[in-house]
Amino acid sequence: MVSRQTLKNSGSKLTTRSDMKTAKVKTEQANQAEQSAPPAVPLRVLVIDDNPERANLVERGLEKNAIVHTASQLQGKQLLDLIAEILPDVIIMDCESPNRDSIESLRTVVQNNPKPIVMFVEEENDTAQRAAIEAGVSAYVVDGLTPKRVRPVIDVAIARFQVMDGLRSELKKTKEDLAARKVIERAKGLLMKTRNMTEEEAYAAMRTMSQERGLPLKEIAETVISVMSLLSGPKQE
Amino acid sequence: MTSTDLTIGFARLSDCASLVAAKERGEFEKQGLNVTLKRYASWAAMRDALAHGVIDAAQMLAPMVVGSAAGLGPYPGAFSTSFSINLNGNAITVSNTLYETIKALDPNSLIQRPLLPSALKTIAAKRRECGEDPLTFAHVYHYSMHGYELRYWLAAAGLEPDSDVKLVVVAPEQMVTSLENGLIDGYCVGEPWNSAAIDANLGKTLITSSEIWSNAPEKVLAVRKNWSQQNVETHVAIIKAMLKASQWIDRPDNRLTAAQIVSRPEYVDMPLDIVQPSLTGKGVHTGGDLIENMPDFNVFHRYSANYPWRSHAKWIFSQMVRWGEALSGTDADGVAEAAYNPELYRTAADELGIAYPNVDEKLEGAHTHAWLQENASSPIAMGPDTFMDGKIFNPSISGQTGEKIQVMSDFVSAKRAG
Repeated sequence: MVSRQTLKNSGSKLTTRSDMKTAKVKTEQANQAEQSAPPAVPLRVLVIDDNPERANLVERGLEKNAIVHTASQLQGKQLLDLIAEILPDVIIMDCESPNRDSIESLRTVVQNNPKPIVMFVEEENDTAQRAAIEAGVSAYVVDGLTPKRVRPVIDVAIARFQVMDGLRSELKKTKEDLAARKVIERAKGLLMKTRNMTEEEAYAAMRTMSQERGLPLKEIAETVISVMSLLSGPKQE
Repeated sequence: MTSTDLTIGFARLSDCASLVAAKERGEFEKQGLNVTLKRYASWAAMRDALAHGVIDAAQMLAPMVVGSAAGLGPYPGAFSTSFSINLNGNAITVSNTLYETIKALDPNSLIQRPLLPSALKTIAAKRRECGEDPLTFAHVYHYSMHGYELRYWLAAAGLEPDSDVKLVVVAPEQMVTSLENGLIDGYCVGEPWNSAAIDANLGKTLITSSEIWSNAPEKVLAVRKNWSQQNVETHVAIIKAMLKASQWIDRPDNRLTAAQIVSRPEYVDMPLDIVQPSLTGKGVHTGGDLIENMPDFNVFHRYSANYPWRSHAKWIFSQMVRWGEALSGTDADGVAEAAYNPELYRTAADELGIAYPNVDEKLEGAHTHAWLQENASSPIAMGPDTFMDGKIFNPSISGQTGEKIQVMSDFVSAKRAG
């Protein structure tokens, strides 16, 4: 398979998992086509994202209705070669990717691509543009594809990018909570040791202070630790 | 006095120097502006951010603004500029392998300046005969001076850029690794990405952009056209801050300080050794093995460098037509007027007592030496504007034509043969 070759040459991750499902997809599409004309060939979608987890998330969201390729850690020229091989109808990528300028050159370079590729937003209204930009998604489509056909693909990509953002902020919060708990435990320990308090008393004292001052418990704990270390300083002499 | 909050986009390139200097030296503050600088990894992302109001102004490729005025790209007519950030600053670097091949085929071409490797045509033909991949050259954006300079040079060496070689777009910071991995054979890029390849002993710089077209336009400070119309005072204040910073950075003894600031992690994030040559103009590589002092490698203020010449916009547009990007029937005067607004520059310069031209255009390529622009608020010392093939570009639609003189209508009335 052509795209495997790219994988070998570049030593980068490239999956064509959904190629195997092409046949199945085609049957589904055919069934759909019976109900509503015109018959549609599944769109070929290339997801370019240096974050492989997010690329996978987008791929899984799309693979039922499209032929999805993903590319991670590939640079400009490699991506252009890959595109010339798989000829995607839609390209989904991270809006901050340095590779965007390479992809945009496909607007003018016909030697690589028989059909020019334009930014999806050119076909769309301002609300749709904003939604994509806020989610950090940029999308390129083969010129001439109707927004109606591409819209669902973009919507899935936006949703998956948002899910990833959600996961990331959740992880960040968990990490922060964990760090706060450590600080609080340490402050509690110090109070118990130097003030002969029980664990409950130490915690209650800090919580009261936190409520009175309107400061987070973590900050109170940090203050306790720094004050304690200040007081314990001269004692050591 | 309340200060206006603004965000300005910039790229990881040495010629962000005057923008950085305006911020670091408090020039924006003095104009009542509270400016945040935001770095972008692609021109497309910076353009989108500007178009959607995420940022208020951007260090943009001059051809991106001209392209938008010509209706090309996703935001037709959205942008304009009243301030040119710098002239020159790019160079063409090729892999050591390609350099050795040229040397073996045509050693004489390597000792001439400007370096014009006619051997490339032979190499391209040979590759085609043998069924090998074509020579691949990279530049940074489809509407960029880098692209037009590369094409101008290849065409001058007798090649047809769209068929004899393959042109691709690669992000500046990917150039060096792409050259190292053999993905491309050469590239045209701004600094420090030529110096970085030489420093890593991966390639040789054959020509600097000022040898292709001396004092060619490069980056401009782009804004949204409707923003500019609604915020004239703020726009003029930005230009004034940039003029002061550009005056400072124009002095040779300030260049090292500028290089030190620009090399910092939040800006270009590269070692001072690599950032320094382009900004100081000392130890610039060109012509394969030459190391020269080129004080004009980057021009930030002298020669009325900050003035948005509409003849620059028209030359850029002529190249868009020449290479089939823009339609030949487009109104060139209209494009230049929509893209470049010199009036606001004049207002800002006048308030600072800086001399400004009274004319919007000049004959590009007509000045082979330093000259005096007398049609100005007071005479301005100008630099040469020569093209490597000695041609003259007359921005007016009709005018005297000749073997050496290209008139704008040569491009807009009909696409030139060949």
